[in-house]
Amino acid sequence: MKLKGSVPAAFVLLLPALICLAVFRLYPIALAAWGSFCQESFEEAGRIIFVGLQNYADVLGDPLFWKSLWVTLKLNAVINPIQVVLALLLTVMVNQRFRGIAFYRLLLFVPIGVSLPIACVIWRLMLDPQSGLINSLLGQIGIDKQRFLIDEHQALWSVMAIATWKGVSFWMIFLWAGLQAIPSELYEAARLDGATAATRFFYITLPLLKRTLLFVLVTDTSVNFLLFVPMFLLTRGGPSYSTNVLMYESYRSGFIYGEMGRALAIMMVLILLVSITVVIQFYCLRQKESS
Amino acid sequence: MIHRLSTFLRHGGYLLVGSIFVLPLWWAFSSSLKPLAQIFHDTSPFNAHALLPFPLDPRAYLEIFRKGFGHALWNSFLVSFLSVTAGLVVNGCAGFAFAVLSFPGKNVLFALTVLTFLAPAEAIAVPLYTVVRNLGWLDTYAGLVVPGLANGITIFLFRQFFAQIPRELAEAARLDGAGWMTILWRIYVPLCKPAIISAGLLIFFFQWEAFLWPLIATRSERMRVVQVALAGFEQQHQTLWNELFAASVISSVIPLLILLPLQRYYLHLVVDSSIKG
Repeated sequence: MKLKGSVPAAFVLLLPALICLAVFRLYPIALAAWGSFCQESFEEAGRIIFVGLQNYADVLGDPLFWKSLWVTLKLNAVINPIQVVLALLLTVMVNQRFRGIAFYRLLLFVPIGVSLPIACVIWRLMLDPQSGLINSLLGQIGIDKQRFLIDEHQALWSVMAIATWKGVSFWMIFLWAGLQAIPSELYEAARLDGATAATRFFYITLPLLKRTLLFVLVTDTSVNFLLFVPMFLLTRGGPSYSTNVLMYESYRSGFIYGEMGRALAIMMVLILLVSITVVIQFYCLRQKESS
Repeated sequence: MIHRLSTFLRHGGYLLVGSIFVLPLWWAFSSSLKPLAQIFHDTSPFNAHALLPFPLDPRAYLEIFRKGFGHALWNSFLVSFLSVTAGLVVNGCAGFAFAVLSFPGKNVLFALTVLTFLAPAEAIAVPLYTVVRNLGWLDTYAGLVVPGLANGITIFLFRQFFAQIPRELAEAARLDGAGWMTILWRIYVPLCKPAIISAGLLIFFFQWEAFLWPLIATRSERMRVVQVALAGFEQQHQTLWNELFAASVISSVIPLLILLPLQRYYLHLVVDSSIKG
């Protein structure tokens, strides 16, 4: 059915958002894309010249870029599934009803308040190899001191642990809101039919939570591909580039080495990478929805 | 007997998971109430006092407010509040248009909108800085609030939820002569309270936590928000960990205080739906 007055209403309702997006998102993206084809002139400092695909060619020929790409993919291949699955399991935990649950809910939601910069500062002190709380606690149960953030093989995992600690409770709010929206009659009916907790989870909770899960997965992925604060505050991409994600490599190129063209070219590659991943996620989850 | 054992195990499990979640902030809280020298003395080697605020010394809290932390809190609060109110209106309206109305170019516009959330402020910080500078908004509240107002994620969220509401409701209201704003306000908003709360929380937390953008878009002490002030603490007062912890605890507790009433609201929703059912 075609409704009257759709077009003018749509225009009015969309205008503020579209103006904001055009001025503060699309135009800067266009500037960034243009900048990725430019370099500062060698002859004349401050003069920007068009160099075509030169920055991209340089980047693709640079082993450090491929190393950063690998670190970015490794981080995201691990952290996104872990965060979403953990958030889902903990949401189911939080959604139980028994005496004292309110207290546990409070505990599980505490990290929401802690911003990522603060989380990084606190965790750095806790993970300090010499005087950190975690090594002291590990010592109590007879485990040797670990080097965590300053160890080439542990740094990325430590960053993931910090980001997950911080991220999971945040995503839980959304999953919990989705869970609350599922009519409780469905569960009662299933229980009367003798469905086990596992059956109820896989046949009621999961399918009805799909929209929320898709939203959480997509948002979480875009956040983690652009994860920057832990590398900026804790590891500076090291040790031995083991936490040097593309986001940080771009920051280093632009703000430490002053190669803005390279920084923007890397950023464009990163944005492309996120887009592809998100489209794949959409496609896969849509597919399941229709089957 | 078996029942008591399972209750015991359940509480044990919840307590274990809960303490992992709460440990860092609790440790920061205990440490913020200690004299500076005591903090690392207690963790290495481990002693039970590490997790207790003892000997009690609240001076760090008084000290940070003397150093102007209160104003940073006010700035963060104002910026977040403005972002949430204006953001809900702007993105809610856009989400409604995409979900309910039909107009030419809808799919292209929606794809473009969603695409923008793949490039948040962090990714385009440098060109965005140029735009905001040309508008003369550097070091102003407008410079902190307006660039992030329209947000692809939030519009996407609103569209997702508005699309779940049967179109017949809107069509019936339309035949009765209701305007689109009335339909949005009277039908869609009341039915989508969880979505609105989710969107509001999303905006609030993104803004409250924003670090990189406020860092580059503001210069004066007067405009400093909490996260930037905290980074300043670490640099200027390098060794004053108890003050850094005190500021961290305060700025972490505020979002929780905002979330707790909403948690009650979630529970009300459950009660409501079971009454109606």
